[in-house]
Amino acid sequence: MNVIFTVIIIASLAVITVAAPDKLLTVLMGGAERSLQTAFSLFCIYALWMGLSRLAEKSGFSRGAARALKPLTKRVFRTENARANEFIAMNVACNLLGVGGAATPFAVKAVQELENDKNTFAQKLLFLINATSIQLIPSTVIALRTSANSAAPADIFLPSLICTVFSTAVAVTLFLITDKFRRRRR
Amino acid sequence: MTAYIIPVIFLAVFAFAAYKKVKIYDEFSAGVAEAVKFTLSLIPCLAAIFMMCEAFEVSGLSDGLTKLLSPVFGALGIPPELTKLVLIKPFSGSGSLAYLTEVIEKHGADSYITRCACVCFGSSETVFYISAVYFAGLKNKKIAAPIVIVLISTFLTTVLACLLCRVM
Repeated sequence: MNVIFTVIIIASLAVITVAAPDKLLTVLMGGAERSLQTAFSLFCIYALWMGLSRLAEKSGFSRGAARALKPLTKRVFRTENARANEFIAMNVACNLLGVGGAATPFAVKAVQELENDKNTFAQKLLFLINATSIQLIPSTVIALRTSANSAAPADIFLPSLICTVFSTAVAVTLFLITDKFRRRRR
Repeated sequence: MTAYIIPVIFLAVFAFAAYKKVKIYDEFSAGVAEAVKFTLSLIPCLAAIFMMCEAFEVSGLSDGLTKLLSPVFGALGIPPELTKLVLIKPFSGSGSLAYLTEVIEKHGADSYITRCACVCFGSSETVFYISAVYFAGLKNKKIAAPIVIVLISTFLTTVLACLLCRVM
């Protein structure tokens, strides 16, 4: 991340300095402003979902969901950590239901929980699965196409499903291969 | 049908918590307190990344890269109209959504370009944002390899999406 950030920001700043030096400050402040706007709207999502997830946690609701998925998550993520398993199970469930906003807080809690075990394998795997998107119903684009008077707004459902499965499969395969190489080098 | 999923989940969790005699008000606010802390911990990363994105866009480098890569993408079956979408999606969810809306308006809701764009948009995520959120509080920041893996698989998926939209 440091390398990517450094390269992009220096190249961009250099071009702006040459082409439009008076714009430099406004551009950067615009970025900062956008970060606060995003934080605002993110807070609204997180506030309700993290409030709800705490209720689910305290009442044992998510423990039930986790128990059903546990044999799977335990093997795939190579973790015995019960709390982490619980959060991972909720994350996967939310993703499949297409509730992306709810999935994120669970993933973050799982990542923090896994940090205690120094289980970077599971952290990275969880990131990969979430960053390649595993939603079943692409509700945003279907809504967009409906409002644009599409004749069959949901006809992208099948290609989307194939693509999202494909992207996650490719990412996980690549990760497992590189992970094996890394282990062998040690 | 899908409209019922979320309300039912909410209702079920609240009802179940009440049944289990959880102090709902206390615990719910405690959850929101976690959200406050979490959102605050994100702001530094978000600010840095958004400044980078703005600078990248305004400097014209992103347009330059779009022009440069269009022929390459074209050779792989990705229409030139989608080059920009493919490039900005990993950086900005709202930016790519705005561009997607533009594509839909310009090419119509049922054109090949629009369907391609929708499938690409629906099957990918804003990788850099997610990485910032997930790894914000961690000491181990060696996350370059996973990010590269995600970018590669997202790109391959784009190629597949453009192919699928031709036949489906």
